Amino acid sequence: MAAAQEQKQFAVGRADEFPVGKFRIVEVEGREIGITQLATGEFRAVRNRCPHKGAPVCKGIIGGTWLPCGVGEMVYGSEGQVLVCPWHGYEYDLNTGVELYQKDPNKLLMYPAKVQEGNVIITL
Amino acid sequence: MDLPEKPHARQSNTLKVLDCDVHPYVKDGVKSVFPYMPNAWKQRFIRKNAQVGSHARPLKYEHPNGSVNRLDARPPCGGISGSDPHFLVQDLLVKNGIEGAVLNCLQTGALCSALAGTDESVVLCSAFNDFLIDQWLPVDKRLKLAMSVPSQDPQAAAAEIRRIGKHGQIVAVSLPLLNILMGNRYYWPIYEAAQEAQLPILVHVTGPDSVYHGVPMSAGGIPDSYVERYVTLNQAGESSVNSLVFSGTLEKFPRLKFIFVEYGFLWLLPLLWRMDRTWRQLRHEVPWVKKSPVEYVHDQIRFSTQPIDEPSNPKDLDTLIELMGFDQLCFSTDYPHWDNDMPGQSLRGLPAAQREKIFWDNALNLFRMR
Repeated sequence: MAAAQEQKQFAVGRADEFPVGKFRIVEVEGREIGITQLATGEFRAVRNRCPHKGAPVCKGIIGGTWLPCGVGEMVYGSEGQVLVCPWHGYEYDLNTGVELYQKDPNKLLMYPAKVQEGNVIITL
Repeated sequence: MDLPEKPHARQSNTLKVLDCDVHPYVKDGVKSVFPYMPNAWKQRFIRKNAQVGSHARPLKYEHPNGSVNRLDARPPCGGISGSDPHFLVQDLLVKNGIEGAVLNCLQTGALCSALAGTDESVVLCSAFNDFLIDQWLPVDKRLKLAMSVPSQDPQAAAAEIRRIGKHGQIVAVSLPLLNILMGNRYYWPIYEAAQEAQLPILVHVTGPDSVYHGVPMSAGGIPDSYVERYVTLNQAGESSVNSLVFSGTLEKFPRLKFIFVEYGFLWLLPLLWRMDRTWRQLRHEVPWVKKSPVEYVHDQIRFSTQPIDEPSNPKDLDTLIELMGFDQLCFSTDYPHWDNDMPGQSLRGLPAAQREKIFWDNALNLFRMR
């Protein structure tokens, strides 16, 4: 059995360098990782690779979406919590990484992110 | 490959068959239905010399052998194939062990989709329906009717469903398509009435397709021959399935079922794959589509089998049917037309349990059978 991979923490920048509504992409251990801040103040760290076809997913739109609704209605919600892949438009929930409204969804690779003494720390 | 000859009845002994596409022909067209309309309309049609025996297609679309009707299906008493219900019962039902046949009158369909004006179509549709109820359905309980509706006037169409839709031998609503895609809310009053009556919507080419303004046209341009036109007729089926799903119409009428008759079915799988992929990518443009298009179509849409395509290796056909599943197909002969499929010679490579679904169970679950 392979030994559990050791987790490492990395400081990727000051919290105020990561704006709400947009990813800033950093490179850590040879991996491109998008870092963004949600409106709630929480941070997200997402591997910049769409599990669908490998697109740089963190260059996509961060916004809301139009929620399932009645015929002819239009309901907008989840503002700032949805990432839209710039290639094929797959929508991902930035809280869970899970693709929206699918029975067999894709999932983004996300890393724990937190702020310590003004710095964003991610765990790989 | 030639199939070994087998007596029709013997093949059908163990297989119950419900035929969901049979065409009654009203022998003298509009003249035959004069007793079923107000005198003022009768006088109008006499003055106009209304015939409506033929669909008045252009020469290039006439059948290369002179008629779409089988010469061997002509009643012995004379008249065009499909015009004598007594002979039809013997020639189709008895001979082939068919226990139920859904009648769909294409003359009514042609009048309602393109040949008649709106008001004319409302009157003629009721008259043709009443003629068939009066002259055909009492002949044999195995004869069922897909009642026609005047689709040029959706409110009148809904009223027609409410007028006769409770008849015990009416099992579906035959909707003559216009050049308005099926999901368009133009048709919603018809769907509402059909759902209320627990009748599925049956669609079939009506004859004027790809010929007249106002009806579905072949994609890309105008076909140049009967053969070219024939092969393109499935295109309206594909567009309609697509429209029913993405417009939200299937979501809006969750208890309403549809059957596409004679549009073929081998195109369904690639269509569904394309629809599913596109929905996954751009779902939020049509947020009322709450589940995969594959699920909507599986739950609410059926397809008739005829005309069954014939790949050089028959097993390829069985493989494709297996891929699309066995729940969505309903057997049909298209009697008395030339490109028919008879039960004893159709889909013989499928396992018995799956044939039973396609020849009987699926149709029984779809049509309002009492």
